[in-house]
Amino acid sequence: MTSFPAEPSITAEPGVSRARRRLTWARVGRASVPYLLILPVLAAVGTILGYPLYNLVTLSFQRYGLFELIQHSGHWIGTSNYGSILHDSVFWHTLLRTVIFTIANVGLTMVLGTAMALLLVQVSAWLRVALTVGLVLVWSVPAVVAVQIWYWMTNFQNGVLNYVLGAGEHDWYATTFSQLSIVTALIVWAAIPFVTITVYAGLAQVPAELVDAASIDGAGSVRIFRDVTFPILKPILLILTSLSIIWDFGVFTQPYLLIGKEHLNSSNYLMGVYVYIKGYAEADFGRGAAISILMLLIVAILSVFYVRKMVRMEAVE
Amino acid sequence: MKRRKLVAVGFVALAALVFAIAAGGVSGANKAKSITIWLQTDAQAANWAPIVAAANAQFQKDTGATANVQYQSWGTHLQKFDATLAGGNTPDVIEMGNTEMTKYMAAGAFQDLTADKGTFDNSSTWLAGLAASGRYNGHLYGVPYYAGSRVVTYRTDLFKKAGIKVPTSLAQFTTDGQALLKKFGKKGFSPVYIAGTDWYFAMSFVFDYGGSIASRVSGKWKGALDTKKSIAGLTAYKNFFNAVSRASKTTDEAHPNPYDVYAQGLAGSIVGPAWYSCCVGKQYTAVTGQFTVPSHVKGQVMPGFLGGSDLAVPVGANKSLGEAWIRAYTSNASEKALEGIGNIPNTTSLFDNSKINERAAARSWFVPTAKNWVNVENENILRNMLAEILTNKLTVKQAAQAASDNIASILNAS
Repeated sequence: MTSFPAEPSITAEPGVSRARRRLTWARVGRASVPYLLILPVLAAVGTILGYPLYNLVTLSFQRYGLFELIQHSGHWIGTSNYGSILHDSVFWHTLLRTVIFTIANVGLTMVLGTAMALLLVQVSAWLRVALTVGLVLVWSVPAVVAVQIWYWMTNFQNGVLNYVLGAGEHDWYATTFSQLSIVTALIVWAAIPFVTITVYAGLAQVPAELVDAASIDGAGSVRIFRDVTFPILKPILLILTSLSIIWDFGVFTQPYLLIGKEHLNSSNYLMGVYVYIKGYAEADFGRGAAISILMLLIVAILSVFYVRKMVRMEAVE
Repeated sequence: MKRRKLVAVGFVALAALVFAIAAGGVSGANKAKSITIWLQTDAQAANWAPIVAAANAQFQKDTGATANVQYQSWGTHLQKFDATLAGGNTPDVIEMGNTEMTKYMAAGAFQDLTADKGTFDNSSTWLAGLAASGRYNGHLYGVPYYAGSRVVTYRTDLFKKAGIKVPTSLAQFTTDGQALLKKFGKKGFSPVYIAGTDWYFAMSFVFDYGGSIASRVSGKWKGALDTKKSIAGLTAYKNFFNAVSRASKTTDEAHPNPYDVYAQGLAGSIVGPAWYSCCVGKQYTAVTGQFTVPSHVKGQVMPGFLGGSDLAVPVGANKSLGEAWIRAYTSNASEKALEGIGNIPNTTSLFDNSKINERAAARSWFVPTAKNWVNVENENILRNMLAEILTNKLTVKQAAQAASDNIASILNAS
């Protein structure tokens, strides 16, 4: 518009502005339709996620302990909650422990889950049904019930695990490594069904003729998996991996109940337990909120790699 | 494009405004002629419930209001209480463990009952150790409810068969234990079943040897577990445990309950609250006795943890009705009934030296009365220290030093 010389400059000015206004209103009207359409979704997301998140962020900048809870008003202290957490060695040790724990759990879950799915394809029909039923049963056990069963199994005096292994009275909760290994076993055990069943569904998408062609060309089963099956399964595996990272990084129920309230201390905290102890058990809600925000950021960083890859893959397709 | 963004921002702002309005304005519930009381599940026991019922009836007679008693468990009641403090719907009366009181009194969670102290029965003869846990800065916030001391519950038949008598010193208790082990030492049997991280029992050794957990020096808390006397106590605990207990070194006194181990015939004796005798199993009821834990000094009682509960009226609660209920429940008659089922009553005027738990309470210890003490429990500093000592992960001195530093930093935190 600016490239045109405005010839009758004096008379044209109001006309142009009128046209622009008309144009603008029309544009606003058109533009707002999609927003009106997504308003219900925005409202729902805002209520369920936005408002609590907003509260959490403001809480993390406040001194908000028991005293403030009773007064119903926090005390603004800027970033000092974050400062004290980042200077706390317990936080860094817990973070490192949780990252290692997450890698171990997600790795085991994905490898064992996928292997189980591949097994399902190979076995006879009745065995497949039996395995699937078993998996679904595992899946349907509530976490708290599962913890109790595992606790009994690993009991040092009467546990079936020591009995079967002939380990005498081995104490499975004697060291942090041992405690977290039992927690890992429990979590992987409970997570395998979801991965297996999802990957098994994904395997149905692998065209049989591709596999046949590969095997006629002399490819072994490892080669077939690497070059035929895996590329087709990749999107599913990526989604499962990122979901597993999110679940395992913030896991609370299993470590809290299995290790037990009486045995949780700074040498065996995972992030989920740490934020609970600091925030709720010690009634320091401001600090707890700050830890939660940090956890959110860490999970976001951990998953960004996978999300990026997924988006890129979609773009290629 | 910019304008479109602006519209989007406008909608988001509008949405935020709607939620902000919706979130405001929560009104308090009307609690007219009924009050809510939180007691611990202990009071649901068959022999305890009638005492609560009698107090409720008395309360109804006195005030015309009804009492709605809700039972809570020790592990979760504070988190639930925090939620009611945030929501403004606190119970009218709450039972608090004596170690839990200080933090809440310091934060202003309870109403000041100082002016009405005289209206509670026996308030001039309240058990000093317990009453202290309900006072903060000279004000009364918690009415003492009952106390409990720790004693040894033992199998009289096994002691008889092994030819041993009730020990009068720690050394004798140790040799007695070894005699039991020799005679009945089948797989998994403990002469004295002690959960490795039972810090209530372990700290008794510390206090018996003249040590302590922490002390207040010129306005600041100083850890005291690393002192010579405390280390002597912890070492004695380690030696005693190794000599007579085959329990897990890392477990606690609720996993499993010592009386369950006893009821399975896997313990010659157990150490814990006097009420453990309730649950020793039918087959052993007739052959079960109790004695006080012997000190390392012959003839003395080992100082035991004085556990107990207070009753408090939270902020926002109906103070006059809350107080009336506490008055009914801690009345002389009610306390007498509580004593009858094995508790230590809240008043020395009812004391009876023939009762073992009251004899055991003659020497007792208590946790540091610091507002952050409960965080030392939350972070399991003492339990972790004991596990490290018993599993030889650290020496007694190293573990005590680390725990002591940790405790000081927690207690001194703002």
